[in-house]
Amino acid sequence: MINVLFFGKMADILGRRALQVEAGDAYLFTVRDRVFEEALDTGRLRVADIRVSVNRQVVTDDMPLHDGDEVAFFSVFSGG
Amino acid sequence: MAELDIRLVEDALDAAAANAEFVAAHGAAGAVATFAGMVRTEAGAVDHLYLDWYPGMTEASFREIAEAAAARFDVSALAVHHRCGRVDAGQAIVFIAAASRHRRAALQAVDYAMDRLKSEAALWKREGGRDGERWVEPRAEDLKDLERWTHE
Repeated sequence: MINVLFFGKMADILGRRALQVEAGDAYLFTVRDRVFEEALDTGRLRVADIRVSVNRQVVTDDMPLHDGDEVAFFSVFSGG
Repeated sequence: MAELDIRLVEDALDAAAANAEFVAAHGAAGAVATFAGMVRTEAGAVDHLYLDWYPGMTEASFREIAEAAAARFDVSALAVHHRCGRVDAGQAIVFIAAASRHRRAALQAVDYAMDRLKSEAALWKREGGRDGERWVEPRAEDLKDLERWTHE
């Protein structure tokens, strides 16, 4: 399974902090598109506001995902 | 190599105790500069902040900033303690300290680390109070503060 986590405004908008996705032959952008569809439907977030990380590294390119990977979606950091 | 003390604090942050601990451990360097930030009430509009965090990523962002400060300035020790979770108005949210042989290096390391934390720390901040709750993004002045260090 792939663990998908949400933080900040993203978690508020989706109303949850996590979900699990079957690893199968999943790609990051497949998971991202599914999450974006749900988040953007709310009208409270723009694609440009959303950042993505895989295993705690912020990424911009698509990549294959593997069993046990941790993907996170969040809005820009607020800072301290 | 500077000694770094990075802490993500879920309970109350006692800036006075952190200061005493840092001075006891690193005061022999000669110069110690510290900064403590508290949550402002904004004239009664804010009664708390909630800082959402990503375990592992948030601490890594603090460490990256502390390492950059230590590499840039001649400091022997640097501490970054930052709250997460709910922080009520009046409570300490951040404590930074630097020790050095030279006062200016210690002061600048603290100033630099704070400027970077204000806009780059991996935290998501929600403000709560009189007008409800709202997510906060870095302010233009925080980004301008950060720019100071790219021109030196």
